[in-house]
Amino acid sequence: MDNSEKSFLKEFAPCFEKTSVKEYAWIFGLLAVIGLGIYAFLEQVLKGHIVTGMRDNVVWGIYIVNFIFFMGLSYAGALISGTLHLFRVEWRKPIIRIAELIALISLMIGPFYILLCIGRLDRAYYLMLYGRIQSPISWDEMAISTYIFGWIIFLYISLLGDLAKMRDFEELRIPKWRKKLYKFLAIGYEGSAYQRKRLEKTMDIMAVMVISIVIIVYSVLAWIFSVTLQPGWHSTIYGPYFVIAAVYSGSAVLIVAMWVFRKFYHLEHHITKNHFIAVGMIMLVFAALFGYFTFNDLLTKWYGSQKHDEVLIRILFKEFYWPFIFANFIGVFLPMIILGIKKLRSITNITLTAAFVIVAIWINRYLIIIPTLQSPYLPIQDPHTEWSIYSSTWVEWSLTAAGIAVFCLLFTLASKFVPIITVGDYRKEDTKENTLV
Amino acid sequence: MKRTVYGILSLVLTAVLFLSSGLKSQSGPADSKPRETYLTLTYLCTSNDSVCLTANLKVYKKNGSLALMNATIDFSSGQDENFIPVGSAPTDQEGNASVKIAVGKLQRGKDRMIAYKATFAGSPKYYKNSAEFRAEPAKILISFSSVDTLHYINLTGSRNDLHGHEIPLSKEIVNLHVPRLFSLIKLGAVMLDEEGKASFKFPGNIVGDSLGNLTIIAGIEDNVQFGSVQAVSRINWGMPNEYRKSDVFSPRQLWTPSAPLWMIITLIVMLSGVWAHYMYAVWELIMIRRSSKKDKPIL
Amino acid sequence: MEDGHSHSRRSRRKFLKKGLLAGAGALFGGGILKAYTTESGNKSGSKVKVLTTNGEIMEVDEFSLKLPRVSTLEAHEGIPGRKFVMVIDLAKCKNARRCVETCQKAHHLPKSQEFMKVYFLQDGEKTSPYWFPKPCFHCDNPMCVSVCPVGATFKRTDGIVLVDNDRCIGCKFCMTGCPYSSRVFAWKHYREFDQDKSPYSPEASSPGKEGTVSKCDFCPDLIRVGKLPYCVTACPIGVIHFGDINEDVVTNGSETYRFSDLIRDRAGYRYLEGLGTRPSVYYLPPVDRLFPVNRGFEDLDENGKHRYEDTPYAKQHKL
Repeated sequence: MDNSEKSFLKEFAPCFEKTSVKEYAWIFGLLAVIGLGIYAFLEQVLKGHIVTGMRDNVVWGIYIVNFIFFMGLSYAGALISGTLHLFRVEWRKPIIRIAELIALISLMIGPFYILLCIGRLDRAYYLMLYGRIQSPISWDEMAISTYIFGWIIFLYISLLGDLAKMRDFEELRIPKWRKKLYKFLAIGYEGSAYQRKRLEKTMDIMAVMVISIVIIVYSVLAWIFSVTLQPGWHSTIYGPYFVIAAVYSGSAVLIVAMWVFRKFYHLEHHITKNHFIAVGMIMLVFAALFGYFTFNDLLTKWYGSQKHDEVLIRILFKEFYWPFIFANFIGVFLPMIILGIKKLRSITNITLTAAFVIVAIWINRYLIIIPTLQSPYLPIQDPHTEWSIYSSTWVEWSLTAAGIAVFCLLFTLASKFVPIITVGDYRKEDTKENTLV
Repeated sequence: MKRTVYGILSLVLTAVLFLSSGLKSQSGPADSKPRETYLTLTYLCTSNDSVCLTANLKVYKKNGSLALMNATIDFSSGQDENFIPVGSAPTDQEGNASVKIAVGKLQRGKDRMIAYKATFAGSPKYYKNSAEFRAEPAKILISFSSVDTLHYINLTGSRNDLHGHEIPLSKEIVNLHVPRLFSLIKLGAVMLDEEGKASFKFPGNIVGDSLGNLTIIAGIEDNVQFGSVQAVSRINWGMPNEYRKSDVFSPRQLWTPSAPLWMIITLIVMLSGVWAHYMYAVWELIMIRRSSKKDKPIL
Repeated sequence: MEDGHSHSRRSRRKFLKKGLLAGAGALFGGGILKAYTTESGNKSGSKVKVLTTNGEIMEVDEFSLKLPRVSTLEAHEGIPGRKFVMVIDLAKCKNARRCVETCQKAHHLPKSQEFMKVYFLQDGEKTSPYWFPKPCFHCDNPMCVSVCPVGATFKRTDGIVLVDNDRCIGCKFCMTGCPYSSRVFAWKHYREFDQDKSPYSPEASSPGKEGTVSKCDFCPDLIRVGKLPYCVTACPIGVIHFGDINEDVVTNGSETYRFSDLIRDRAGYRYLEGLGTRPSVYYLPPVDRLFPVNRGFEDLDENGKHRYEDTPYAKQHKL
């Protein structure tokens, strides 16, 4: 380990060694939100799904929206890091670990929302025992399990260098069990030529695998909706549409995470404005693509004026007018303006835009699922209002908040375990080259 | 003084409440008069010198009727006041009780009709009741004939006179039915001529069982003199019921227990392709670990 | 001494008074409770009086009388040699809703779950509205069966599609898969499920289970004993006909027709035929109606009218 790496790690040492009072307060706050989520979960388990806002027509509500959103984040993080690795993009080094962690952590949260939506949680294992491969949900099961395994391998390969560095960084004052853990996980990687070559080759193969898997796997999730006969969902465009929207949201979350770590871990030298602009450009491109796909879908539905499409579009523009404008207009044009005009490209602006985009994509997911369920072929003629209009309850919102809290918590804990900026590959390349100054 | 009044009042209140709650929980009338019942008697002569008598026992409530189950109905036959018992049966859960009796020895009236009576003896809660029916026994004979491809059902109706001679039934309408799963479908109706005979052309497109067997029911319904007369016979003129399993249940569809073959093959190919790469990556990692064990660790 | 005596007398009186009041209260409460439970017991369904051998009367719930329930394995097989079909005569329906209510009572469903639904449809602005009873269509290409991830819903050889509530995990994919909104979900453990004490069978769709999906089942438990489904016999006008398409016969309990003749003569059709689901329920168009369409609104209470207030007809006539 040469001096540049050593000084680098020394910079990070405080993160690994101690937790400040502010950090404890932050973790405690997150745990409180998670506690509320657990209480809401128990309420649902004991009283049944009647405590949610879902009823016989809108049978899939915020839980499924969150599922799609978090899985989208995960796949997007994987896609972005896979692509950046594969093409050896110059400025990837400081931010790629964040992207990889986003992929891993969202992956741990997403499937829980599916389980929350299942009416008989005690029978969840039937999916394995009695699975039918003709069902899109079974395809999704196979897809997610394949992806999880693949991503763990990919992440491990990516982390291997850093784990070796952590193992070799002797001045680190951490408990013995952690040192032992690093040693175990690093499987004796020294960075010798033989090992490097094998690692790079494997990394490339896994990167290609991950990119192709992500596209297919998220399309499978999109097919859960598009193969049904529901008028709003039976669209041929859903496969690529979902993937595009996912990468869009993933790049936005990446920007926000970059900003958070830059600020709280004082990484101003490593994550510079140019990094924000680079990822911001990804966001810009995908904003354009997202707007294009959304327009494509809605234009086709609107122009043909099929009766059921008409009902759906009327619901979108009457009941959901402001969310629709926010998600599909502000959500598309704001990044294009902020990132298109050179003067407006500041770190704060880009981060704020990214935050808007995250909310916009979440709303877009909501607008994909709920309005269609509110406009089935046969009109909803039921005396109860909650049967025709979906309004989510505190249980669902608490669990959404808890999911976000788990995300933040796991991210915080992960940043204390591995360096948030890749150290491993710093041996050959000069530090200067990687700062994009 | 106040306390005494208090005590008496509470006693009275208790008594009133007890009685009223007791009254509310009873669903029947508080008095011991038995309820009215309704008894109907249905008759069917089955063309083999026997008749089937079915009695139905009901009670009427303000929102409908209730069948009485497990009540014994006694059937009898005779003239004027001399009725001899011919059978008895308990009612089932729909209130029906039926017996089958031979008519050969039963006494006939001057109008050649036999009188039948069903009696419900009554119980402490339900009033006794009885119902009567009169009819002359008759019979219908079914036979089948074919001319080229045309099939005919031939009917002969007859009755026995007081001396036991057979007299043909004339000018009576006979309905022809084929029993189906829940009901009977009507083929048509014919009128018996002076000799009591009639012929009906059988339509060719009735579905039978898997071998083409059909049941034909010929009946005179609700006749003033003869009541209801019925004859049943089987013939192999139906279209075989090709239990068309393939229409409903072609193998290997999206909705069948076994998936289409192409789906299974595609999934196997894709998944094994991906997991093969995973195994390769794991193998490489193992090789990396092994290589480190060979070299001495350098600090 | 006197004080002591009077004290004890007073306390005895107090005790008696309290005791009487307590007793009165208990009896009062008990009486109310008894009356209430008897009434609600009667609400569960019509009763049949059974005379036991010694002349005593027993009341038995009509719908739980001796309908055999087959095992889940037999329920998968189906009644051999049959393919069931239903024909609904839209010219006669007047929204009497007996089919809806009888089915709910027979399957022990709460008021919010309807296996048979009656819609008020109007296809175009100038076309005439009509009442539309809709059970599950038991499609020959059932989307719901295709998408079930655990095989809880299945199609049998006799054409009936059933749900096995012991297998269902409640993912509700089948509910989004069905384009006819035929399925209902048990969002909690409804009180009415406890009315059924017999063992569960997919053919009876009862007792319901919390967190699972259920739907109209064409009453196979009734068919096995030669009876017509509850909705068919409950309809006061004979709107619903049921039968076997292999035998080419349908009946509504009083009238029997040849299925092919009925469809040919009355121009029978299937709803949303273009979706390709191939339903087993045919409709006879509302020609030569038996009742004017507003007859269907006459017996409805406020809640009932609220259902249909979004339809153009209701808005036009300010119902």
